[in-house]
Amino acid sequence: MVTATATGRTIERTRRLGGARVGPDWRNVGFVLPFLIVYLALLVWPLFDGIWISLQKFDMFDGTGAYAGLANYKRLFADKIFLGAVWNTALFVLMTVPAFVAIGLVLALALNRPTRMAAALRATFFATSVLSVTIVTIVWKMMYLPDRGLLTNVLGAFGQAPIPILSDPSLALPGIAVATVWWGIGLPMMLFLAALQQIPRELYEAAALDSAGRWRSFRHITLPSIRRTVVLVAVIEIVYQFQLFGQSYLLTRGGPNNASRPIVQFIYEQGFRNWDLGYAAAASEVLFGLMLIAAMAQYLLTRRRAEG
Amino acid sequence: MTAITAAQPRQGMVGRSLGDRLILWAVILLAVIWVVPVAWITGLSFKPNSELMTDTGTLFRAPYTLKNYTDILANSGVFRWVLNSVVVSLGQTLGVLVLASLAGYGFARAQFPGRGIVFALVLIGLAVPEQAVIIARFQMFNDLKIHNSYLGLILPHLSAPFGVFLMTQYFKAIPRELDEAALLDNASRFKTFWRVLLPLTVPAQATLGIFTFLSSWNDYLWPLISATKPEMFTLTVGLASTQTNFAQSEGLGYLMAQSVFAGLPVLIVYLFFQKYIVTAVAGAAVR
Amino acid sequence: MADIEIRDVSKRFGPVTVFDGLSLSVESGEFMVFLGPSGCGKSTLLRMIAGLESVDGGEIRIAGTRVDTLPPGARRVAMVFQHYALYPHMTIFENMAFGLRNIGLKQPEIDQRVQGAARTLEIVELLQRKPGQLSGGQRQRVAIGRAIVKEPRAFLFDEPLSNLDAALRVRTRVELARLHRRLRATMIFVTHDQVEAMTLADRIVVMNEGRIEQVGTPMEIYTRPATKFVARFVGVPAMTFLDAMVVGQGGGEQGGAVLRLPDGTELRTPVPADGLPAHQPITLGLRAEAVRIDGQGSTLGTVEVVERLGDRTHLHVRLQDGSTLIAEDAGLSGVAVEDRVALRIDPAAVHLFGADGVGRHAAA
Repeated sequence: MVTATATGRTIERTRRLGGARVGPDWRNVGFVLPFLIVYLALLVWPLFDGIWISLQKFDMFDGTGAYAGLANYKRLFADKIFLGAVWNTALFVLMTVPAFVAIGLVLALALNRPTRMAAALRATFFATSVLSVTIVTIVWKMMYLPDRGLLTNVLGAFGQAPIPILSDPSLALPGIAVATVWWGIGLPMMLFLAALQQIPRELYEAAALDSAGRWRSFRHITLPSIRRTVVLVAVIEIVYQFQLFGQSYLLTRGGPNNASRPIVQFIYEQGFRNWDLGYAAAASEVLFGLMLIAAMAQYLLTRRRAEG
Repeated sequence: MTAITAAQPRQGMVGRSLGDRLILWAVILLAVIWVVPVAWITGLSFKPNSELMTDTGTLFRAPYTLKNYTDILANSGVFRWVLNSVVVSLGQTLGVLVLASLAGYGFARAQFPGRGIVFALVLIGLAVPEQAVIIARFQMFNDLKIHNSYLGLILPHLSAPFGVFLMTQYFKAIPRELDEAALLDNASRFKTFWRVLLPLTVPAQATLGIFTFLSSWNDYLWPLISATKPEMFTLTVGLASTQTNFAQSEGLGYLMAQSVFAGLPVLIVYLFFQKYIVTAVAGAAVR
Repeated sequence: MADIEIRDVSKRFGPVTVFDGLSLSVESGEFMVFLGPSGCGKSTLLRMIAGLESVDGGEIRIAGTRVDTLPPGARRVAMVFQHYALYPHMTIFENMAFGLRNIGLKQPEIDQRVQGAARTLEIVELLQRKPGQLSGGQRQRVAIGRAIVKEPRAFLFDEPLSNLDAALRVRTRVELARLHRRLRATMIFVTHDQVEAMTLADRIVVMNEGRIEQVGTPMEIYTRPATKFVARFVGVPAMTFLDAMVVGQGGGEQGGAVLRLPDGTELRTPVPADGLPAHQPITLGLRAEAVRIDGQGSTLGTVEVVERLGDRTHLHVRLQDGSTLIAEDAGLSGVAVEDRVALRIDPAAVHLFGADGVGRHAAA
């Protein structure tokens, strides 16, 4: 079957022996190059350019910028509206993140079973996550409308006066928070579900043989196992909610009385309404910094508590 | 031994099923509440605008109408928005899949000097939020005069490291033996990528593709900034632009119909691709 | 077919040196087995021949031409991987044809080669299926088929039988032996299983921690292990070792070593005593078949464990000083646990190992 002559003839006919090599090879850069070019041009460069822009004072009329050092930042920290935006954003994060963690965990615990009912319920809670912010805000505006919203109708059915949520400075942000939790509960729930499914069943079975009740099982097996996921969910949600924009912009435009203006809306308005790009860029850098600090703080804090 | 194991489950089970059922019903109730807003909007979309100007409590009574929906179909603006969204989302999805697959293979399998450093550099990009780069991008696209264009809408998100990260992890999980067999089979690096490894990444491609499509479809901030001409609005931005005078609007029913119109396709896609979407969204967040 | 020459080869993984100046020759058409425990470097050496690992020093030549600078595809060797490495999304035919397409062969020739190999391996009816639909044994044959169609100068096998169940392993071993006879191909086979090595090899290379312990035919390895490691590694049950002492010369016709065993008895052996220190502890190695039950035997002990294998029985015997020997008896042996027995050690089958670990045996 295999003869020397056949082999010899084959060698002559095929000149394409070679193929790839093992080990480092410059030509392999070609695989990552297309992405790298896009990455450097559209992420890395703008990152540094943004810092540069934040150090410039832009003329509103002709759009040119002049180097101004840290002037924009100094102005930011004296700007009541900006500081208010920071406050609002921080408040919003404090309102939503614990809700995401708690409700997400409860849902995950309740729906961590293989029944069809549970699957349908999980799908329901996750479905809202695929809607765009526009749809979500239309829905909730319709809910909150003082004269014709669903909330008013329901209150009216119980003989109660309508509550104007979005036009009340102290209720606007919480109103947005409720809509946001409604919108995004799917992700925390899924992350907790995944974590719960990682816990080996044998742990629970051993506990059952040790006569541990449900609460004890929960406290001593479930909670410790998902500690890392709690941190994960918290960090993720902090990062997401710091970037609040669409919901507030479309529901309240940041009002009433700047009560619900978040940092990103401030950036948008300064940059693309007032065309003060340098100022807006500075605000965006502050946002970036705040996000990093908050996420890191949360991570380290819970790490320390877990180890201690 | 049998006595203990027999007693335990019986005891445990009774207490369990009662508590369990209570919790389940509570969750079902919550789910119903969860659905109410959407159901209500859908219901309102079938009511005439004139009625909704004064009263929205008549949901369970006639009259009903399909006029809101026929109005949408007659309104060319909405179709233009849908078209834009389709083009931009498809374009972004394709772009991300191509770039991320190539780069993912490169980082996972094709060695070159400095690969580790470059990969770390790309990973760091995961921490950068959109707002930190959006103004500089705006200026750049201004100078390049590509605002209000499909290119301008598609390009920015191609730089997101998430796709590369996902594909790199996926490629890494494929056994090296396949690469080695291909090497001995005289395959060039590209051929190994194209004919051997890439076909094995279809699940990851599906996940990444659907995720990218969805986040592109729902994107608000960048299209708001870059597409200022109404004919370049994506569906999300276009729909938002009609929201401005909500309370005074004469077209509440129409607005509701628009939201249903915009949301229904996404929900349908969700129902079919649930598995992929959930995996992708969870994966994206975990970085 | 080609011969393979490994000259003075070194390999490092970072700070760890795997080989340092290793040399080996594989003859054309030979079935060579690299045998050793995990981590000894046998797979690494195989992969260096294939081109999947770089060579840090020295050279590798196939049929006289230097190959260690060539990419794997250009070396004209074929490899059968431990987990077969079949392309999951391609049909069996495509799996086998892939390499041939890459070197530019035309379809008729590809068809001819693939069909030929499929007939040899009896997998013709599987050609349109995908690997996922095949059993482990079938996949293995496809992997071999993929190697055959390349008409390589040498076949490299990386522990290909370790994923098969015991019965299949035995059958495949026989098939491999037949294949080798048929193709007359140079084959290098890596395994940690000494039974595979003994049954398949023309020659065995026993490796340990990056060093070659011994190269030889299976019987050479078995009857004249060069080092304690080889002696312990090859053979089932493993060789027993006792501490003994050379107390004089004059055993056998050539005047071999006279040993004092740990239980005090003496044994006159024909093993040459040169190089062995007198009155110093050395290691005495005995295979089970060299120790038999004999009423007149001078070594006494108590049976601790009886292992019945059907055709023979292994007895673990505790000697008077506490050390243990494994003795062999007939399959129908009536010996039971706790029996006191007398053993006779065949002096010609004795292996002596000095402190240097080098084995000394009676003249063949």
